[in-house]
Amino acid sequence: MSTLPVRAAMVPVTRQVRAYFAPMNRATGAPTIFDPGKYGAFLLEAPPAPWLDLGWVDNFQRFCTTLTEPLRAGIPGSPTTQFRRSLDARIEFDFREWGKLQMALACGSEHMNVLASDPNANAQPSGGTPLAAVPVLPGSTASQINLGVGAVNAFLPGNIVAVDVDYEQQIGYVGTGISAAYVSDPADVNRDANYVRRVTFNVGRVAQQTVTSLLLAQPLLGGAPLSGASVQQVIAFVDREGGSFFQDWSALFVAEEESGGRVCFHYPWLSPTTAIEMSMPLTPTAQPRAVKAFHREEEIEVTKPISSLALHAAFQAMPHVDENDGQTVVCYRSYFPTAMAGLY
Amino acid sequence: MQFTKDSFYMALLQRLVSLNPLQTVTLDGTTRPAIIVAENELVISAQPVSDAFYIEWGTAQMVQGQVGDRGLMEMECVITYHTFGTVQSGVDRGRALAALDMELLSICEPPRTQKRDYTQSPSADLGTSILWTTPNLGKVVGTDAAKNEGLPRGNEGVRLERSASLKVFFFPEVTFL
Repeated sequence: MSTLPVRAAMVPVTRQVRAYFAPMNRATGAPTIFDPGKYGAFLLEAPPAPWLDLGWVDNFQRFCTTLTEPLRAGIPGSPTTQFRRSLDARIEFDFREWGKLQMALACGSEHMNVLASDPNANAQPSGGTPLAAVPVLPGSTASQINLGVGAVNAFLPGNIVAVDVDYEQQIGYVGTGISAAYVSDPADVNRDANYVRRVTFNVGRVAQQTVTSLLLAQPLLGGAPLSGASVQQVIAFVDREGGSFFQDWSALFVAEEESGGRVCFHYPWLSPTTAIEMSMPLTPTAQPRAVKAFHREEEIEVTKPISSLALHAAFQAMPHVDENDGQTVVCYRSYFPTAMAGLY
Repeated sequence: MQFTKDSFYMALLQRLVSLNPLQTVTLDGTTRPAIIVAENELVISAQPVSDAFYIEWGTAQMVQGQVGDRGLMEMECVITYHTFGTVQSGVDRGRALAALDMELLSICEPPRTQKRDYTQSPSADLGTSILWTTPNLGKVVGTDAAKNEGLPRGNEGVRLERSASLKVFFFPEVTFL
């Protein structure tokens, strides 16, 4: 043995992985970029905007299924060089905390806010005809929703509210700040003026009331309400097996540094996925491929018969062109050595 | 290894001072934060003081599965505390013990701190962090009362004591060849 005045800390030690997601601009396809040089050392409790903290995740696994293939030459058929035949990667993990974002990402398609229903409305599995919306007054912010004297009494502290504009028969992505769904035909959504509020990410919990406004416990994800926005009470969240929309987001995962430096995994573009084929067919006559079962929830036993429920999520990593060299990549792994660590 | 012990103690001491500056004890005529490393105190026959955290260190070994010259080690740590409550009758001793429990859990978060060399002033950063598990709060032991067979744990005792155990992980100041 020998003694060193300072230990080289080259073994990253971590306890858990924390997930952060940021919306993509669905209209342009532009992701949210995590620049390690600008944001690398951020406090895990206070991620840089627009990254949203989705809490600790379990069973975080990164799968690389990128295939490389050698080019062979000569009589012995020795490899002379190789190339990447396909670029393919996915990740899987369990959200231990449930919320609007976690459910939407784990499910992968449109995520519905169940609006408080008119008692006389027909029953619908994602919520029937809702109670009338209350218009938002000018001057509102992402944390304070001005409704006016009297109107504010339609809500109580503790209520969940959806704050967004009416659906106006447009075709395209809907949802303030974050694209929550895509409408290709107004008839598909029954030309329902409440449709945007049924899917919007602009939801909040009423923490307090003033005479004229609602004060929210957390700011609206999509930012301040747009002109013409209204508020409706949300009773529950619903996701569905099926649907045509994909929740495409940018993602960042941080292996919390206990000792030895921070490791981050940045995926500029993740698209939700579920069951996967166990193996790729290598020939056109290959047998039907096995499909790995996909569990939507994982039960984590506390002690029998008590268990907690985790949301199982899986994503396909989609390509991104790195402007620094024009290479097409799907994820970035960054490492921030701790102070005085050896570098090799 | 001593750097690990010192760093753990200093982290908890600073957090306790920040969390509850009134949580103090008087030892040898000196008033200080109520967290004490038993092996650093004078050897006297006095009883431990109440409402204070006593740190004791146990076995240390390499963590299984760690290889190479930068092996991670673990060391057992036991933190013991007791209370008589805050009133003469002692009827709030359970609440006082619960408050100590919460204080301990609070000062153990976040479960890591820089490893520093406190043998020099100012202390020197040793380049790594130490980390530890969440304290496992052991059973409550009640003493100083007639044993009540109907309450086998003795929680009716006027002196309630608990030991919390945890493991501290660290890179030693040694390169293993």
